[in-house]
Amino acid sequence: MVGYILRRLLLLVPVLLGLSMLVFAIARLLPGDPVALAAGPNATAADVASVAREFGLDKPLVVQYWNYLTGLFQGDWGVSIFTRRPVAEDLAAYLPATLELVLAAMLLAIGIGIPMGLMAAVFRNRWPDFISRTVSLGAISMPRFFLGLVFQLLFAMWLGWLPLSGRFPLTEDPPPAITGLLTVDALLSGQFHAFGVALSYLALPAIAMSLSPLATIMRMMRASTIEVLQQDYVLTERALGLSQRLILFKYVLKNAISATLTVIGLYFGWLLGGTVLVETVFDWPGIGLYATQAVLTQDFMPIIGVTLCIGAIFVTVNLVVDLLYGLLNPKVRYQ
Amino acid sequence: MLTTTRRGVLAGGAAMLAGLAAQRQAEAQGRRILVIASNQDIPNFDPHVASGYSASMALRNTYDSLVRVEGNPPKPVPHLAQSWTVSDDGQEYTFKLDPAAKFHDGAPVTAEAVKYSFDRLLRLNRGNAWMIAGVVDQNSVEAVDATTVRVKLVKPFVPFLSVLPWVWIVNPAQVEANKGEDDGQTFLRSNLAGSGAFKLRRAEAGNLYEFERVANAWKQGGGNLTGAIWKITRETATQRLMVQRGEAQIAVDLTSEDMDALKGRAGVNLVIEPEYRTFSMKMNTRHGPLQDANLRRAIACAFNYQGMLDVAGYAELMRGPFPETIDGFDKDLPIYRTDLARAKEFLAKSSTPNGGIKLTVAHVSGLEQQRRWALVLLDSLRALNIELDIKPMIWPDMVSAARSPETTPDIFMVYQTANYGDPDNLAYAGYHSSRNGGWQNPVYSNPAIDKLLDDARGETDPEKRRELYVQFQRTLMEDSPDIFGVLEKRKLAMRNNVKGFTFTPVASNAIELFPLSLG
Repeated sequence: MVGYILRRLLLLVPVLLGLSMLVFAIARLLPGDPVALAAGPNATAADVASVAREFGLDKPLVVQYWNYLTGLFQGDWGVSIFTRRPVAEDLAAYLPATLELVLAAMLLAIGIGIPMGLMAAVFRNRWPDFISRTVSLGAISMPRFFLGLVFQLLFAMWLGWLPLSGRFPLTEDPPPAITGLLTVDALLSGQFHAFGVALSYLALPAIAMSLSPLATIMRMMRASTIEVLQQDYVLTERALGLSQRLILFKYVLKNAISATLTVIGLYFGWLLGGTVLVETVFDWPGIGLYATQAVLTQDFMPIIGVTLCIGAIFVTVNLVVDLLYGLLNPKVRYQ
Repeated sequence: MLTTTRRGVLAGGAAMLAGLAAQRQAEAQGRRILVIASNQDIPNFDPHVASGYSASMALRNTYDSLVRVEGNPPKPVPHLAQSWTVSDDGQEYTFKLDPAAKFHDGAPVTAEAVKYSFDRLLRLNRGNAWMIAGVVDQNSVEAVDATTVRVKLVKPFVPFLSVLPWVWIVNPAQVEANKGEDDGQTFLRSNLAGSGAFKLRRAEAGNLYEFERVANAWKQGGGNLTGAIWKITRETATQRLMVQRGEAQIAVDLTSEDMDALKGRAGVNLVIEPEYRTFSMKMNTRHGPLQDANLRRAIACAFNYQGMLDVAGYAELMRGPFPETIDGFDKDLPIYRTDLARAKEFLAKSSTPNGGIKLTVAHVSGLEQQRRWALVLLDSLRALNIELDIKPMIWPDMVSAARSPETTPDIFMVYQTANYGDPDNLAYAGYHSSRNGGWQNPVYSNPAIDKLLDDARGETDPEKRRELYVQFQRTLMEDSPDIFGVLEKRKLAMRNNVKGFTFTPVASNAIELFPLSLG
């Protein structure tokens, strides 16, 4: 097991190296002139050249890449040519907001999707099944940003139950930054009032983000549970008189959940890279908005930094998923 | 499952009520915090590096400059400098500093600090350094005594006082103590070393910046604000809702549709004023068919100006390269307006008397207004039997295309914002040949125009200077390098409890907090 984890971690190195090389090349080969843009409207040709020199952009691409890579190992993710802020600092500021949103959305999706899928399979072709199938179809076919807008209109504007946008009330001080995840920080510092407030801000965007993975998880869970329920060993267990609950939670759930786990891993990465619309609608200061801004101005270092960061999280989450397979299903062996 | 959701919603509701209570508590404690909704982040606080309107807002409230800009038309008024004198040749300025002025750490703002700041700005050559580049050098600024600064310009530059509001004075002791290897850039990126009426209380990149009033600030008077929050709000519709609901007191990036939606709402005031932000369609005078001045004039006469204005929202048509309220505007300037007969006359004199050519216009992709204007142009050019290829490009690509006449499209759409309230700003950046290759003036070059603009920079007699700008406008109009478009109005929405706001057509969205009060 330990050997397997180490091997998988080692495998991360070529994956991330390849990714960094690819992104580095693509970011540089794009047409456009971000350096002239960064130098400002009144810059002379000499000013533009001096900005290029300052950021080492006048060197051959291979040298630039080597410099970037060696910097990366020392924790230097490069500097934005527009804001001149270190990318590492920016990532540290923006990533926690996105992580909080994605984690909350995934928690909702898993916490609701798996029981719903299980229920739909058990009550197949009866009303719980119909309801959950209709809900999931609706959830999956509705774009997230549109859902966000509908939620805002309903819960913030009309009913006034939840705040419209943002992460925390403007005029209040947020809990002290420990993880950067406001809800977690509030709990860690024992500020339960702040936790409630942060949660109320998190609710709408997290729900809007969660619906499409929720629907997929539910459908996957339903399909694999139905398949498992038809296995001979389930029939045997029933024949032996085991209780429905025991059969379902001890034997069926574990076998049915493997395929869903894969989907969960994939969705996690997908949500991380696809938060921008929800972030825009809810003014959520996350990495999606940061990346969009960087792409629009072709700001190399943030583009590469965000891609690498999301890439690293994605492969790590999938490693965790792979390990979970073994925990849930002892038949899976790691060699 | 249902219970959990319901519980969550109830908890949220309770939390919101608690939040409101906290806000009321803040009010009870006498905190008056103005919230400004803007879509631009303030990623860098270094006064000699940062640029953009959001940075200008942060810097003009946390740092001080020798003079401030005020009024409409904008005029320089005393700030750190109580008074100043200018030598007869216009090349030597002597400023008398306010002896009361002090930095946030209590140290006095001295002439040495002024010299240090100018030198640092020039040394780094970033941010607003272009405004004084070639005019002030490392030997120009001299500290005569603690409160007297003498600036000897390298060459005459009449708009000097107009650029001074954007040259901020830093506390040398603080910068030197945190100099590092990059001249204090790392330190000043997120720390202040200023003397302004406000300081930074909280900075959350991409989310909000909270300013609080400096206790015992050197400058007395002003409004009653105890603090302000610059809230980054990307969606203009959300900005509008925030002002509508009273969550923000000022929104600075609203569209014409947002303004219409806010019209007549109780408690909301709208500010719609012409600002020094021009829009023009620049023609490629150095490459392709539009090298022919008659063809350019024909296009300028064929263009449907009313059509452009109709889709422009709150805007007015430009009458030449200058906004009408700027000093030096020629109100008798003969301009081109839609006149098909005249257009055809010009076309007949051109090298393509029957049209039959295809031109390309580039606009910034995603800017709906520009796309509509390109369509108006397409429609206008049909009358001359000229086809138009509309090319949306992302902004970095446009900047890249502007680098040489060969890569510059036939017609290039550009917004140009004045950074200081002097005609020199728009004229020099937009039409002087030294700016060729940059997006503000990719290709246009005329030695006569260059001379007029250079002379106007050095002409100290206001009357003669005005005359030079009149000549500039007439020569330019004769050359017809641009289709002069519209002057979009600045659109701000404000709660009616905001008092003390006066509009200045330069950097008006970089809100100055000092005079403002919340009623």
